[in-house]
Amino acid sequence: MNKVLLEIKNLHASVDGKEILKGVDLTIRRGEVHAVMGPNGAGKSTLGAVLAGRPTFEVTEGSILYDGRDLLALSPEERSWAGIFLSFQYPVEIPGVSITNFMKSAVAARRKAQGLPELTPGEYLRLLKEKMALVQMKGEFARRDVNVGFSGGEKKRNEVFQMAMLEPVLSILDETDSGLDVDALRIVAEGVERLRTPETSSIVITHYQRLLDYIVPDVVHVLKDGRIVRTAGRELVDQIEREGYESIHG
Amino acid sequence: MDSRVYILGRDSAPQYLRLEAGEELAMTLVVPPGTDVQYSLEVDLCGPGAGLDLAGLYLCPGSERVELRVLVRHSAGGCNSRQLFKGIVGGTARALFDGLIYVAPDAQKTQAYQENHTLLLSETARTESRPQLEIYADDVQCSHGATTGYLNPEELFYMRSRGIPEAEARRLQMQAFLAPVIRRLSDAAAEEIYASLP
Repeated sequence: MNKVLLEIKNLHASVDGKEILKGVDLTIRRGEVHAVMGPNGAGKSTLGAVLAGRPTFEVTEGSILYDGRDLLALSPEERSWAGIFLSFQYPVEIPGVSITNFMKSAVAARRKAQGLPELTPGEYLRLLKEKMALVQMKGEFARRDVNVGFSGGEKKRNEVFQMAMLEPVLSILDETDSGLDVDALRIVAEGVERLRTPETSSIVITHYQRLLDYIVPDVVHVLKDGRIVRTAGRELVDQIEREGYESIHG
Repeated sequence: MDSRVYILGRDSAPQYLRLEAGEELAMTLVVPPGTDVQYSLEVDLCGPGAGLDLAGLYLCPGSERVELRVLVRHSAGGCNSRQLFKGIVGGTARALFDGLIYVAPDAQKTQAYQENHTLLLSETARTESRPQLEIYADDVQCSHGATTGYLNPEELFYMRSRGIPEAEARRLQMQAFLAPVIRRLSDAAAEEIYASLP
Protein backbone atom coordinates (compact mmCIF):
# COMPACT_ATOMS: atom_id res chain seq x y z
CA MET A 1 0.00 0.00 0.00
CA ASN A 2 1.09 3.54 -0.73
CA LYS A 3 2.22 5.93 1.94
CA VAL A 4 -0.38 7.84 3.90
CA LEU A 5 -0.61 11.45 2.71
CA LEU A 6 -3.40 12.83 4.87
CA GLU A 7 -4.65 11.66 8.22
CA ILE A 8 -7.59 13.48 9.79
CA LYS A 9 -8.55 12.43 13.29
CA ASN A 10 -11.66 13.44 15.23
CA LEU A 11 -11.85 16.81 13.49
CA HIS A 12 -14.27 19.30 14.97
CA ALA A 13 -14.70 22.74 13.38
CA SER A 14 -17.01 25.68 14.02
CA VAL A 15 -17.97 28.91 12.39
CA ASP A 16 -19.34 31.74 14.53
CA GLY A 17 -19.63 29.33 17.44
CA LYS A 18 -21.76 26.84 15.49
CA GLU A 19 -20.21 23.39 15.19
CA ILE A 20 -20.20 22.14 11.58
CA LEU A 21 -17.73 19.25 11.67
CA LYS A 22 -18.42 16.92 14.58
CA GLY A 23 -15.61 14.42 14.59
CA VAL A 24 -14.37 13.60 11.09
CA ASP A 25 -11.86 10.77 10.56
CA LEU A 26 -10.33 10.36 7.12
CA THR A 27 -7.14 8.74 5.83
CA ILE A 28 -5.91 9.26 2.29
CA ARG A 29 -2.93 7.53 0.71
CA ARG A 30 -0.81 8.79 -2.15
CA GLY A 31 -2.32 8.12 -5.55
CA GLU A 32 -5.89 7.83 -4.26
CA VAL A 33 -8.99 9.75 -5.25
CA HIS A 34 -11.58 10.08 -2.51
CA ALA A 35 -15.09 11.33 -3.12
CA VAL A 36 -16.84 13.12 -0.28
CA MET A 37 -20.56 13.15 -0.92
CA GLY A 38 -23.49 14.21 1.17
CA PRO A 39 -26.61 16.33 1.37
CA ASN A 40 -26.47 20.13 1.44
CA GLY A 41 -25.30 21.52 4.75
CA ALA A 42 -23.53 18.31 5.79
CA GLY A 43 -20.18 20.10 6.13
CA LYS A 44 -18.50 19.04 2.86
CA SER A 45 -17.30 22.51 1.91
CA THR A 46 -16.28 23.19 5.51
CA LEU A 47 -13.97 20.19 5.36
CA GLY A 48 -12.31 21.57 2.22
CA ALA A 49 -12.05 25.05 3.70
CA VAL A 50 -10.50 23.77 6.93
CA LEU A 51 -7.90 21.81 4.96
CA ALA A 52 -6.97 24.95 3.02
CA GLY A 53 -6.86 27.05 6.20
CA ARG A 54 -9.76 29.44 5.77
CA PRO A 55 -9.53 31.77 8.77
CA THR A 56 -13.29 31.97 9.36
CA PHE A 57 -13.35 28.36 10.59
CA GLU A 58 -12.12 27.45 14.01
CA VAL A 59 -10.81 23.96 14.66
CA THR A 60 -11.88 23.12 18.19
CA GLU A 61 -10.70 19.53 18.44
CA GLY A 62 -8.78 16.87 16.55
CA SER A 63 -5.71 16.77 14.34
CA ILE A 64 -4.65 16.74 10.72
CA LEU A 65 -1.36 15.21 9.66
CA TYR A 66 -0.30 15.99 6.11
CA ASP A 67 2.79 14.24 4.79
CA GLY A 68 3.86 13.81 8.41
CA ARG A 69 3.40 17.51 9.28
CA ASP A 70 0.89 19.19 11.57
CA LEU A 71 -1.26 20.87 8.94
CA LEU A 72 -3.19 23.02 11.40
CA ALA A 73 0.01 24.81 12.39
CA LEU A 74 0.53 26.09 8.83
CA SER A 75 -0.81 29.31 7.28
CA PRO A 76 -2.88 29.06 4.08
CA GLU A 77 0.14 30.07 1.96
CA GLU A 78 2.39 27.52 3.69
CA ARG A 79 -0.19 24.83 2.96
CA SER A 80 -0.15 25.84 -0.69
CA TRP A 81 3.65 25.63 -0.78
CA ALA A 82 3.40 22.18 0.78
CA GLY A 83 1.22 21.06 -2.13
CA ILE A 84 -2.37 21.60 -1.01
CA PHE A 85 -4.79 23.11 -3.49
CA LEU A 86 -8.45 23.97 -3.01
CA SER A 87 -10.58 24.48 -6.09
CA PHE A 88 -13.20 26.91 -4.79
CA GLN A 89 -16.89 26.24 -5.12
CA TYR A 90 -17.32 29.98 -5.62
CA PRO A 91 -14.08 31.34 -7.12
CA VAL A 92 -13.38 34.89 -5.95
CA GLU A 93 -13.25 37.88 -8.28
CA ILE A 94 -10.21 40.11 -7.91
CA PRO A 95 -10.76 43.33 -9.85
CA GLY A 96 -7.56 44.99 -11.03
CA VAL A 97 -5.37 41.87 -10.77
CA SER A 98 -4.76 40.00 -14.02
CA ILE A 99 -4.53 36.21 -14.14
CA THR A 100 -0.96 36.58 -15.42
CA ASN A 101 0.15 38.68 -12.46
CA PHE A 102 -1.83 36.63 -9.97
CA MET A 103 -0.22 33.39 -11.07
CA LYS A 104 3.21 34.98 -11.44
CA SER A 105 3.09 35.99 -7.77
CA ALA A 106 1.83 32.55 -6.76
CA VAL A 107 4.44 30.63 -8.74
CA ALA A 108 7.26 32.93 -7.63
CA ALA A 109 6.32 32.65 -3.93
CA ARG A 110 6.11 28.88 -4.13
CA ARG A 111 9.45 28.52 -5.94
CA LYS A 112 11.07 30.79 -3.37
CA ALA A 113 9.64 28.70 -0.52
CA GLN A 114 10.93 25.56 -2.21
CA GLY A 115 14.39 27.05 -2.71
CA LEU A 116 14.07 27.01 -6.50
CA PRO A 117 15.39 29.80 -8.74
CA GLU A 118 12.95 32.32 -10.20
CA LEU A 119 11.54 31.56 -13.62
CA THR A 120 12.66 33.84 -16.45
CA PRO A 121 9.81 35.74 -18.14
CA GLY A 122 10.13 33.41 -21.13
CA GLU A 123 9.96 30.28 -18.99
CA TYR A 124 6.94 31.63 -17.13
CA LEU A 125 5.12 32.42 -20.37
CA ARG A 126 5.75 28.94 -21.73
CA LEU A 127 4.43 27.39 -18.52
CA LEU A 128 1.34 29.64 -18.65
CA LYS A 129 0.55 28.69 -22.26
CA GLU A 130 1.08 25.00 -21.67
CA LYS A 131 -1.29 24.93 -18.70
CA MET A 132 -3.89 27.14 -20.36
CA ALA A 133 -4.02 24.68 -23.26
CA LEU A 134 -4.85 21.92 -20.78
CA VAL A 135 -8.22 23.52 -20.03
CA GLN A 136 -8.65 25.00 -23.51
CA MET A 137 -8.20 28.61 -22.44
CA LYS A 138 -7.29 31.15 -25.10
CA GLY A 139 -4.33 33.51 -24.79
CA GLU A 140 -6.37 36.62 -24.03
CA PHE A 141 -7.75 34.86 -20.94
CA ALA A 142 -4.52 35.47 -19.05
CA ARG A 143 -4.84 39.22 -19.45
CA ARG A 144 -8.30 39.38 -17.89
CA ASP A 145 -8.81 40.25 -14.23
CA VAL A 146 -9.11 37.16 -12.05
CA ASN A 147 -12.66 35.77 -12.43
CA VAL A 148 -14.15 39.22 -13.15
CA GLY A 149 -17.07 38.81 -15.53
CA PHE A 150 -16.31 35.10 -16.04
CA SER A 151 -19.11 32.67 -16.74
CA GLY A 152 -19.57 29.77 -14.32
CA GLY A 153 -17.71 27.47 -16.68
CA GLU A 154 -14.83 29.91 -17.17
CA LYS A 155 -14.43 30.25 -13.41
CA LYS A 156 -14.14 26.50 -12.92
CA ARG A 157 -11.72 26.19 -15.83
CA ASN A 158 -9.67 28.94 -14.26
CA GLU A 159 -9.56 26.91 -11.03
CA VAL A 160 -8.27 23.85 -12.85
CA PHE A 161 -5.80 26.02 -14.78
CA GLN A 162 -4.43 27.32 -11.45
CA MET A 163 -4.27 23.76 -10.18
CA ALA A 164 -2.22 22.82 -13.24
CA MET A 165 0.12 25.77 -12.67
CA LEU A 166 0.73 24.82 -9.04
CA GLU A 167 0.90 21.03 -9.51
CA PRO A 168 -0.53 20.15 -6.10
CA VAL A 169 0.10 16.96 -4.17
CA LEU A 170 -3.36 17.04 -2.59
CA SER A 171 -6.09 18.73 -4.58
CA ILE A 172 -9.51 19.37 -3.09
CA LEU A 173 -12.21 19.95 -5.67
CA ASP A 174 -15.16 21.62 -3.98
CA GLU A 175 -18.26 21.19 -6.14
CA THR A 176 -16.16 21.77 -9.23
CA ASP A 177 -19.03 20.36 -11.28
CA SER A 178 -21.70 22.77 -10.06
CA GLY A 179 -22.95 25.18 -12.67
CA LEU A 180 -21.18 23.46 -15.55
CA ASP A 181 -22.76 22.28 -18.78
CA VAL A 182 -21.69 18.91 -20.16
CA ASP A 183 -18.91 20.29 -22.37
CA ALA A 184 -17.37 22.43 -19.63
CA LEU A 185 -17.66 19.51 -17.22
CA ARG A 186 -15.74 17.29 -19.64
CA ILE A 187 -12.97 19.89 -20.14
CA VAL A 188 -12.61 20.38 -16.40
CA ALA A 189 -12.69 16.66 -15.62
CA GLU A 190 -10.19 15.79 -18.34
CA GLY A 191 -7.88 18.51 -17.07
CA VAL A 192 -8.04 17.03 -13.57
CA GLU A 193 -7.53 13.48 -14.88
CA ARG A 194 -4.40 14.50 -16.78
CA LEU A 195 -2.92 16.01 -13.61
CA ARG A 196 -3.25 12.70 -11.75
CA THR A 197 -0.03 10.92 -10.82
CA PRO A 198 0.72 7.92 -8.56
CA GLU A 199 2.15 10.40 -6.05
CA THR A 200 -0.78 12.82 -5.90
CA SER A 201 -4.19 12.50 -4.30
CA SER A 202 -7.55 14.23 -4.66
CA ILE A 203 -10.62 14.85 -2.59
CA VAL A 204 -13.63 15.35 -4.82
CA ILE A 205 -16.46 17.04 -2.95
CA THR A 206 -19.73 16.68 -4.78
CA HIS A 207 -23.43 16.40 -4.35
CA TYR A 208 -24.07 14.42 -7.53
CA GLN A 209 -22.51 11.47 -9.23
CA ARG A 210 -21.94 13.04 -12.64
CA LEU A 211 -18.39 14.33 -12.00
CA LEU A 212 -17.53 10.89 -10.65
CA ASP A 213 -18.33 9.39 -14.06
CA TYR A 214 -15.22 11.22 -15.28
CA ILE A 215 -13.02 11.28 -12.19
CA VAL A 216 -13.39 7.76 -10.84
CA PRO A 217 -12.89 7.59 -7.07
CA ASP A 218 -11.09 4.80 -5.22
CA VAL A 219 -12.97 5.48 -2.01
CA VAL A 220 -16.35 7.13 -1.43
CA HIS A 221 -17.40 8.74 1.85
CA VAL A 222 -20.78 10.02 2.84
CA LEU A 223 -20.75 13.02 5.13
CA LYS A 224 -23.93 13.74 7.08
CA ASP A 225 -24.38 16.26 9.83
CA GLY A 226 -20.65 16.78 10.30
CA ARG A 227 -19.64 13.12 10.44
CA ILE A 228 -18.61 10.52 7.92
CA VAL A 229 -21.39 7.94 8.20
CA ARG A 230 -20.31 5.51 5.51
CA THR A 231 -17.12 4.68 3.64
CA ALA A 232 -17.06 2.24 0.75
CA GLY A 233 -15.89 1.74 -2.82
CA ARG A 234 -17.35 3.37 -5.92
CA GLU A 235 -20.42 1.15 -5.78
CA LEU A 236 -21.67 3.48 -3.06
CA VAL A 237 -22.11 6.19 -5.70
CA ASP A 238 -24.66 4.04 -7.50
CA GLN A 239 -26.53 3.31 -4.30
CA ILE A 240 -26.77 7.04 -3.56
CA GLU A 241 -27.95 7.70 -7.09
CA ARG A 242 -30.68 5.06 -6.73
CA GLU A 243 -31.78 5.64 -3.17
CA GLY A 244 -30.61 9.10 -2.19
CA TYR A 245 -28.85 10.06 1.02
CA GLU A 246 -31.81 9.10 3.17
CA SER A 247 -30.87 5.45 2.86
CA ILE A 248 -27.32 5.94 4.10
CA HIS A 249 -26.89 5.63 7.84
CA GLY A 250 -23.92 5.24 10.09
CA MET B 1 -2.97 67.67 -23.68
CA ASP B 2 -0.92 69.35 -20.97
CA SER B 3 -0.17 66.71 -18.32
CA ARG B 4 1.29 67.45 -14.93
CA VAL B 5 2.14 65.43 -11.84
CA TYR B 6 2.72 67.01 -8.43
CA ILE B 7 4.04 65.25 -5.35
CA LEU B 8 2.51 67.19 -2.47
CA GLY B 9 4.93 68.05 0.29
CA ARG B 10 7.77 67.98 -2.24
CA ASP B 11 6.68 69.93 -5.31
CA SER B 12 5.11 73.32 -5.24
CA ALA B 13 1.67 72.64 -6.62
CA PRO B 14 -0.61 75.40 -7.95
CA GLN B 15 -3.58 76.44 -5.84
CA TYR B 16 -5.47 78.23 -8.56
CA LEU B 17 -5.73 77.46 -12.26
CA ARG B 18 -7.73 79.03 -15.07
CA LEU B 19 -8.52 77.05 -18.17
CA GLU B 20 -9.41 79.21 -21.17
CA ALA B 21 -11.53 78.23 -24.18
CA GLY B 22 -10.50 74.86 -25.59
CA GLU B 23 -7.66 74.46 -23.09
CA GLU B 24 -7.21 70.96 -21.68
CA LEU B 25 -5.27 69.89 -18.63
CA ALA B 26 -4.53 66.53 -17.05
CA MET B 27 -3.24 66.82 -13.53
CA THR B 28 -2.30 64.20 -10.97
CA LEU B 29 -1.69 64.85 -7.29
CA VAL B 30 0.25 62.39 -5.15
CA VAL B 31 0.50 62.42 -1.37
CA PRO B 32 3.23 59.93 -0.39
CA PRO B 33 3.24 58.19 3.00
CA GLY B 34 4.58 60.22 5.89
CA THR B 35 3.32 63.52 4.50
CA ASP B 36 1.09 65.85 6.47
CA VAL B 37 -0.62 68.18 4.08
CA GLN B 38 -3.40 70.71 3.85
CA TYR B 39 -3.90 71.52 0.24
CA SER B 40 -6.58 73.46 -1.60
CA LEU B 41 -7.00 73.69 -5.32
CA GLU B 42 -9.41 75.74 -7.36
CA VAL B 43 -9.75 75.20 -11.08
CA ASP B 44 -11.84 77.63 -13.07
CA LEU B 45 -13.08 76.46 -16.45
CA CYS B 46 -13.78 79.88 -17.84
CA GLY B 47 -13.80 79.41 -21.61
CA PRO B 48 -16.09 77.17 -23.68
CA GLY B 49 -14.73 73.71 -24.41
CA ALA B 50 -12.13 73.68 -21.62
CA GLY B 51 -11.40 70.28 -20.11
CA LEU B 52 -9.98 69.11 -16.80
CA ASP B 53 -8.87 65.57 -16.03
CA LEU B 54 -7.85 65.58 -12.38
CA ALA B 55 -6.76 62.59 -10.29
CA GLY B 56 -5.12 62.12 -6.97
CA LEU B 57 -3.93 59.49 -4.58
CA TYR B 58 -3.06 59.78 -0.93
CA LEU B 59 -1.25 57.17 1.11
CA CYS B 60 -1.61 57.57 4.84
CA PRO B 61 -0.65 54.30 6.54
CA GLY B 62 0.74 55.79 9.77
CA SER B 63 -0.27 58.89 11.68
CA GLU B 64 -0.59 61.32 8.78
CA ARG B 65 -3.01 64.23 8.66
CA VAL B 66 -4.12 64.90 5.11
CA GLU B 67 -6.74 67.40 3.96
CA LEU B 68 -7.49 67.88 0.30
CA ARG B 69 -9.97 70.47 -0.86
CA VAL B 70 -10.85 70.83 -4.48
CA LEU B 71 -13.19 73.33 -6.09
CA VAL B 72 -13.91 72.88 -9.76
CA ARG B 73 -15.78 75.88 -11.08
CA HIS B 74 -17.61 75.64 -14.39
CA SER B 75 -17.97 79.30 -15.31
CA ALA B 76 -18.42 78.75 -19.05
CA GLY B 77 -20.63 76.31 -20.92
CA GLY B 78 -19.58 73.21 -22.83
CA CYS B 79 -16.69 72.32 -20.51
CA ASN B 80 -15.98 68.95 -19.00
CA SER B 81 -14.25 67.94 -15.82
CA ARG B 82 -13.40 64.56 -14.34
CA GLN B 83 -12.00 63.89 -10.89
CA LEU B 84 -10.84 60.63 -9.39
CA PHE B 85 -9.30 60.58 -5.90
CA LYS B 86 -8.17 57.40 -4.19
CA GLY B 87 -6.84 57.11 -0.67
CA ILE B 88 -5.38 54.39 1.51
CA VAL B 89 -5.67 55.25 5.19
CA GLY B 90 -4.29 53.13 8.02
CA GLY B 91 -2.75 53.32 11.47
CA THR B 92 -4.15 56.36 13.25
CA ALA B 93 -4.07 58.58 10.18
CA ARG B 94 -6.81 61.07 9.32
CA ALA B 95 -7.74 61.93 5.76
CA LEU B 96 -10.30 64.39 4.46
CA PHE B 97 -11.41 64.91 0.91
CA ASP B 98 -13.65 67.86 0.28
CA GLY B 99 -14.69 68.33 -3.30
CA LEU B 100 -17.09 70.89 -4.69
CA ILE B 101 -18.29 71.10 -8.26
CA TYR B 102 -19.82 74.49 -8.96
CA VAL B 103 -21.74 75.08 -12.17
CA ALA B 104 -22.57 78.70 -12.96
CA PRO B 105 -26.08 79.68 -14.23
CA ASP B 106 -25.05 80.05 -17.85
CA ALA B 107 -22.61 77.12 -17.97
CA GLN B 108 -24.98 74.93 -20.01
CA LYS B 109 -23.83 71.61 -21.50
CA THR B 110 -21.47 71.09 -18.61
CA GLN B 111 -20.19 67.60 -17.93
CA ALA B 112 -18.68 67.17 -14.48
CA TYR B 113 -17.86 63.98 -12.60
CA GLN B 114 -16.16 63.31 -9.32
CA GLU B 115 -15.26 60.10 -7.50
CA ASN B 116 -13.54 59.55 -4.17
CA HIS B 117 -12.72 56.06 -2.93
CA THR B 118 -10.98 55.17 0.30
CA LEU B 119 -9.46 51.94 1.52
CA LEU B 120 -9.16 51.71 5.29
CA LEU B 121 -6.41 49.51 6.71
CA SER B 122 -7.23 49.80 10.40
CA GLU B 123 -10.09 50.35 12.79
CA THR B 124 -8.37 53.42 14.16
CA ALA B 125 -7.91 55.22 10.85
CA ARG B 126 -10.42 57.95 10.04
CA THR B 127 -11.54 59.19 6.69
CA GLU B 128 -14.06 61.77 5.66
CA SER B 129 -15.39 62.42 2.21
CA ARG B 130 -17.44 65.48 1.39
CA PRO B 131 -18.50 65.50 -2.21
CA GLN B 132 -20.70 68.43 -3.11
CA LEU B 133 -22.50 69.67 -6.18
CA GLU B 134 -23.72 73.22 -6.59
CA ILE B 135 -25.51 73.52 -9.88
CA TYR B 136 -27.27 76.61 -11.22
CA ALA B 137 -27.62 75.57 -14.87
CA ASP B 138 -30.28 73.14 -16.03
CA ASP B 139 -28.75 71.41 -19.05
CA VAL B 140 -25.84 69.59 -17.43
CA GLN B 141 -24.54 66.11 -16.68
CA CYS B 142 -23.00 65.92 -13.24
CA SER B 143 -22.36 63.12 -10.80
CA HIS B 144 -20.33 62.31 -7.77
CA GLY B 145 -19.68 59.20 -5.75
CA ALA B 146 -17.77 58.16 -2.68
CA THR B 147 -17.01 54.76 -1.18
CA THR B 148 -15.10 53.56 1.85
CA GLY B 149 -14.10 49.97 2.52
CA TYR B 150 -11.61 47.53 3.93
CA LEU B 151 -9.42 45.01 2.13
CA ASN B 152 -11.60 42.11 1.04
CA PRO B 153 -10.97 39.05 3.26
CA GLU B 154 -12.34 36.68 0.60
CA GLU B 155 -9.82 37.97 -1.94
CA LEU B 156 -7.04 37.71 0.64
CA PHE B 157 -7.82 34.08 1.44
CA TYR B 158 -8.14 33.21 -2.24
CA MET B 159 -4.69 34.64 -2.96
CA ARG B 160 -3.12 33.04 0.11
CA SER B 161 -4.60 29.67 -0.82
CA ARG B 162 -2.58 29.96 -4.04
CA GLY B 163 0.61 30.52 -2.08
CA ILE B 164 0.77 34.31 -2.21
CA PRO B 165 2.02 35.47 1.21
CA GLU B 166 -0.44 37.59 3.17
CA ALA B 167 1.60 40.80 2.97
CA GLU B 168 1.97 40.46 -0.78
CA ALA B 169 -1.72 39.63 -1.19
CA ARG B 170 -2.56 42.85 0.64
CA ARG B 171 -0.17 44.79 -1.58
CA LEU B 172 -1.71 43.30 -4.74
CA GLN B 173 -5.13 44.44 -3.57
CA MET B 174 -3.84 47.92 -2.83
CA GLN B 175 -2.12 48.13 -6.21
CA ALA B 176 -5.32 47.07 -7.92
CA PHE B 177 -7.25 49.70 -5.98
CA LEU B 178 -4.81 52.45 -6.93
CA ALA B 179 -4.23 51.31 -10.53
CA PRO B 180 -6.53 53.83 -12.27
CA VAL B 181 -4.47 56.67 -10.77
CA ILE B 182 -1.06 54.94 -10.86
CA ARG B 183 -1.53 54.40 -14.60
CA ARG B 184 -1.12 58.16 -15.08
CA LEU B 185 2.36 58.25 -13.55
CA SER B 186 5.76 57.49 -15.03
CA ASP B 187 7.18 54.02 -14.43
CA ALA B 188 9.67 55.44 -11.94
CA ALA B 189 6.97 57.28 -9.98
CA ALA B 190 4.73 54.21 -10.03
CA GLU B 191 7.56 52.05 -8.72
CA GLU B 192 8.14 54.52 -5.92
CA ILE B 193 4.48 54.32 -4.93
CA TYR B 194 4.47 50.52 -5.06
CA ALA B 195 7.59 50.35 -2.91
CA SER B 196 6.01 52.65 -0.31
CA LEU B 197 2.84 50.61 0.18
CA PRO B 198 2.54 49.26 3.72
